[in-house]
Amino acid sequence: MTKDKKLTPEELVKSFKNEFKSNIKDAIIKKRAAGSKKNETPSIWMKVDKSVFKDVVKHLCEIQFPHLSIASGNDLGRNIELIYHFTVNYGSRMKEINFNISVDLPKSKPEIDTICDLIPGALITEREKMEMLGVKIIGIPDDKRCFLSDDIPKGVYPWRRDETGADKLYKNLHGGKK
Amino acid sequence: MRFSMLPAVFAQMFKKPWTNKFPAKYAPANTTQFLADVDEGIAEIIPPVPTPNGFRGKIKYDKVKCNGCQLCIKVCPCEAIEFKKKEKKIKIYIARCCFCSQCNDICPVNCLTMSDEFLLADTDPYSKDLIVE
Amino acid sequence: MNQEATTKTSYQIPIGPIHPALKEPVHFEFEISGERIVDVSVKLGHVHRGIEWASRKRNPIQILYLAERICGICSYCHPAAFALAVETAADIQIPERAEYLRVIQGELERITSHILWAGVAAHEIGFDTVLYLTWQIRERALDLTEYLTGNRVTKGIMTIGGIRRDITKDMLPRVKKDLQYFKDNFEKLCHIFLDDKTVGMRSQGAGILTKKDALKLCAVGPTARASGVKKDVRVDTSYFAYGDLNLKYITPDDLTGNVNGDVYDRIIQRLLEIDQSIDLIEQCIDKMPSGDIVAEPDIQKLLNQLKKVKGEGVGRHEAPRGEVIHYVKFDGKSDSPYTWKVRAPTYNNILPWIPMLIGEQIADIPIVAASTDPCMSCTNRVAIVSDGRKYELTKEQLHKLSVEKTRRLMK
Repeated sequence: MTKDKKLTPEELVKSFKNEFKSNIKDAIIKKRAAGSKKNETPSIWMKVDKSVFKDVVKHLCEIQFPHLSIASGNDLGRNIELIYHFTVNYGSRMKEINFNISVDLPKSKPEIDTICDLIPGALITEREKMEMLGVKIIGIPDDKRCFLSDDIPKGVYPWRRDETGADKLYKNLHGGKK
Repeated sequence: MRFSMLPAVFAQMFKKPWTNKFPAKYAPANTTQFLADVDEGIAEIIPPVPTPNGFRGKIKYDKVKCNGCQLCIKVCPCEAIEFKKKEKKIKIYIARCCFCSQCNDICPVNCLTMSDEFLLADTDPYSKDLIVE
Repeated sequence: MNQEATTKTSYQIPIGPIHPALKEPVHFEFEISGERIVDVSVKLGHVHRGIEWASRKRNPIQILYLAERICGICSYCHPAAFALAVETAADIQIPERAEYLRVIQGELERITSHILWAGVAAHEIGFDTVLYLTWQIRERALDLTEYLTGNRVTKGIMTIGGIRRDITKDMLPRVKKDLQYFKDNFEKLCHIFLDDKTVGMRSQGAGILTKKDALKLCAVGPTARASGVKKDVRVDTSYFAYGDLNLKYITPDDLTGNVNGDVYDRIIQRLLEIDQSIDLIEQCIDKMPSGDIVAEPDIQKLLNQLKKVKGEGVGRHEAPRGEVIHYVKFDGKSDSPYTWKVRAPTYNNILPWIPMLIGEQIADIPIVAASTDPCMSCTNRVAIVSDGRKYELTKEQLHKLSVEKTRRLMK
């Protein structure tokens, strides 16, 4: 947890590209200005290969212990995309960087390693991804359901957009099938 | 420290209660009877606290101005507005309305406005008072 | 609560889902040994309403009001974070005046929320006089909110690309008068919470969250800052007009000189933040430039523009309870966003409950749980299972236990 180093977004991306080479598929830095002084907030969108995901997080932890805001997920048809929203460089005025790491998982085998051993605070969000998107998190310390109630059948994942989605469970809801 | 509350307590004793006793000083035993009495002029209602400017209450609808563009239906977050195809006018179910006044903003002819009427409780969501057309 | 003497070394108390003095339907299982809590496990989601699914049928303007109804107390920060996310995805620039107005609304909400919390905390330790005092101040804050936005709770003031209502010159005297009222009463509140023996006895050393745990468990907001973690979205990043304003991190050592991370520190933290919010509103009023308040006043045009957007965006805002983050993805094909993910601050503040509660007494559950200010909806029943028999402990009894502990300590 070294806190003295404050990397710029460019340096951060470079450090990851040096470390993981072609496994970093895409890295975009976006900056957005706000207020009358137009101070900018940088955010990095990085797509990494599934095989190195855990090492990427480990590398990030070595730079500065990141704050994991949330992991969100998309059903992209053939793949499931998980996006981990980290923030780094917090603790000094307007230096924070939003760091979004996304991973594509094939729907036939949606598995990913847990990061709970590196960041214990990831537990709830990982459990949520398990039940909502049907992603298998390997090595998660607690795999009980967290948000869905127990009477929702197994194999139904509300955030999916295919036949495993929760469409058949919507009955008398507004906009649902009657 | 131990008696530091005392001044506040004494001051409180001579203050008027903060609460506005709407609709009557004591809760009427029979509200319907009370309202009937008010109509006849026997009882008197204590008025509610006035609403501020820009308060969003029950929607008012100017049917003549409306040109049936249906934009309000597009933005209504709770689908409280129904389109009457024959007349090309709208019907608003206040029971569903969330009082966001987004329909007022989008209306190109300004036929919708928010009034300051807020006493809208009713036992029937389809009662006359809760449908604006 | 007539439990019998047993030879078992520990027993379990399930609390919730419909719960005790916490205000959110959440299920706890406490492992108790004597009066001490040994272990805690948490289950959530009893009020999962499928809001993300509901958004699939709505356009961004409609979702603003859906977001507003995620939480009653944070009815400004959810639409704010959503609007930020959409603006980032669609690259909409907001007029400067709107940025300042957004800050004013956000800080006013923080004042309301923190004062409400102070009352709840006082109630939990059986100090009901303070509950009435704080909520009297909160009433003024709500009146001001009503004056500025039109309604007291569901403000409906946020829109994509700006804000819906301006604060005109003739409104300023009223705002300034109310700010002065908050300032006067802030002194009074500080005196009650910081100098009173009762509050100190119940809160000092209770529910400690160390800095290391706060970092590891990703705690956010006042809960994290009270443990000494310098993390505040308003200071860390530049969004709305926060980048222009003069503000710094607030941690409890600003007042006391050291950080303990206990309930007392969380009280100090929130009190200091009320002061900071008043200051921020004053700065905004002074610096606010004139000009437009919405980037695109024609909502029809705005919706058409959003329909074509392809991309994703993240909106982060510091809500009264901590960082709220919304993720929005548009696919450019439909009116509604492809994905919308909401994360409220309490989501991250659940796990820190576990280190806070372990080692505490049953009577401390209400105040320790309330000290993170969970965003809640409340009912009242705890069942104590001991020896296979079931005893029920209602919220009133749990509250009584808490009050009794205060009395005991005062002797």
